[in-house]
Amino acid sequence: MALKESGSAALSATHSVLVRVAAVLALIAIWQLLVLARLWPPAVLPGPGQVWDQLLAASDSGNGQGGYAGSTVLERLGVSLRRVGYGTAYGVLVGVGLGLVMGLVPVVRAVVEPFVTFLRALPPLAYLSLLVIWFGIDEEPKVYLLLVAAFPPVAVATATAVTGVNRQYLEAAHALGANRLGVITTVVLPASAPEILTGIRLAVGIAYSSVVAAETVNGADGIGGMVLNAQRYNQTAVVLLGLVVIGVTGLLIDTALLALQRAVSPWRGRA
Amino acid sequence: MGEPLVELTGVAHSYRANRVDVPALGPLDLRVEPGEFLVVVGPSGSGKSTLLRLVSGFERPTTGAVEVLGGPPVPGRDVGTVFQQPRLFPWQSVAGNITTALRWAGVPGADRPQRTRGLLAQVGLVELGRRRTWEISGGQQQRVAIARALAARPRLLLMDEPFAALDALTRERLQEDVRSLTDGERAVVFVTHSVDEAVFLASRVVVLSDRPGRVALDLPVPLPRSGVPADELRGSAEFAALRGEVAGAVRAVAA
Ligand SMILES: Nc1ncnc2c1ncn2[C@@H]1O[C@H](COP(=O)(O)OP(=O)(O)O)[C@@H](O)[C@H]1O
Ligand SMILES: [Mg+2]
Repeated sequence: MALKESGSAALSATHSVLVRVAAVLALIAIWQLLVLARLWPPAVLPGPGQVWDQLLAASDSGNGQGGYAGSTVLERLGVSLRRVGYGTAYGVLVGVGLGLVMGLVPVVRAVVEPFVTFLRALPPLAYLSLLVIWFGIDEEPKVYLLLVAAFPPVAVATATAVTGVNRQYLEAAHALGANRLGVITTVVLPASAPEILTGIRLAVGIAYSSVVAAETVNGADGIGGMVLNAQRYNQTAVVLLGLVVIGVTGLLIDTALLALQRAVSPWRGRA
Repeated sequence: MGEPLVELTGVAHSYRANRVDVPALGPLDLRVEPGEFLVVVGPSGSGKSTLLRLVSGFERPTTGAVEVLGGPPVPGRDVGTVFQQPRLFPWQSVAGNITTALRWAGVPGADRPQRTRGLLAQVGLVELGRRRTWEISGGQQQRVAIARALAARPRLLLMDEPFAALDALTRERLQEDVRSLTDGERAVVFVTHSVDEAVFLASRVVVLSDRPGRVALDLPVPLPRSGVPADELRGSAEFAALRGEVAGAVRAVAA
């Protein structure tokens, strides 16, 4: 018999998607109202309609400039998503591995945590220069920048989750004859999965919001590159288009991760 | 009698709290023979859980020696444990919990599905294998915990107030099932503070004194272990007499 929770604190999956969609629609409505109020000239604050026109223009590869400055919005999005994908994937690997060791070995945590916190406090643009000196101006510095931005929240979330695993489960596992590796793979990691996924959601968000910074270096082919280019030529509508595309895809990715989190830990709050 | 399964010699245990040693158990001597169903009764705080933790190897005695199967106990090797809370892993299904225990017990992968079904059948839950652990009742969860503890076919099963959180009806039904666990060679050491439960389950009852717990009563329980319906047994004059004796000892140590 399934237990029905009354007055559950969390929204159901469908509800949370609906709420997100409603929030986006509300934002667009407010934006349109601000434009209609004519507080600023259209060159400073273009309306949703203008940005939509830009989207259509920049998506048309046959418009004589291959979309916008050589690539369509979709191509640019693909390039940026690939960078974010690699950056966060490596960041998650490093973060989960490091966080696991930090959580299991208190000494390691005491030594490593200040460095992780230090890195976390740095804005990505601040260490970009260093990465460019070390790795040149190809893909590496961009992916490494996103890695460095992505791994600290994953490491901290993993370490905290691992330290917080219910001791009763660990003892039950030992009582059943589990060895250290068995306890880690069968108890510690699954028990920590919900918190680790929260860390990953944070990491994807941070990496994604750092993509513009990463693409200031030879990244004109990405969505961040488009924003930087448009800024140079005062194309406000294109800048806004870039922001909207980054924002909306970021929201979609986070929604997918949230669904994944619910799927892998249906037991959360129940046991 | 042959080799004892468990032998405690001059065992005492203290916990260190706030820079002082707080004696929790003993000194006491205790032997458990194969096939015995030993129930330990005592007031709360008398060291019953400590006794089980010493036997399972989770705790080393402050003084004295604990031997299980002739050597110091190693958690998860010779002894199965059922805790007061089922402690099932909620990220695994009911059957998954048992399969995991079989894996840790070294059962080859090919044999695990069949053994899992067998263990579920033994506790009467074959149909519930695919359920989530929170989708079954507390009594069923504790049955799964028992099946899981039996996965390694331990010679010794330790149970620490496993039914304390269950309602009276569920508890009686589980008692009837657990009573037969000593069939053959296996011994059970079962902790409770219910006198009725102790006399019904036990082939021998040990009453611990108030903290630090020592053996206040060590009483064989010569009730028939099969062939007599549970209700008849609970209603018999012998049962009442034994219950009176154990209850008297419990009252004496609590005073
Ligand atoms: N980890 C511990 N640290 C300090 N004191 C403990 C610890 N575990 C138990 N005790 C103390 O030891 C005594 C016996 O505890 P326990 O074995 O749990 O008793 P019981 O199971 O009979 O209720 C109690 O006074 C308890 O407070
Ligand atoms: Mg106890």
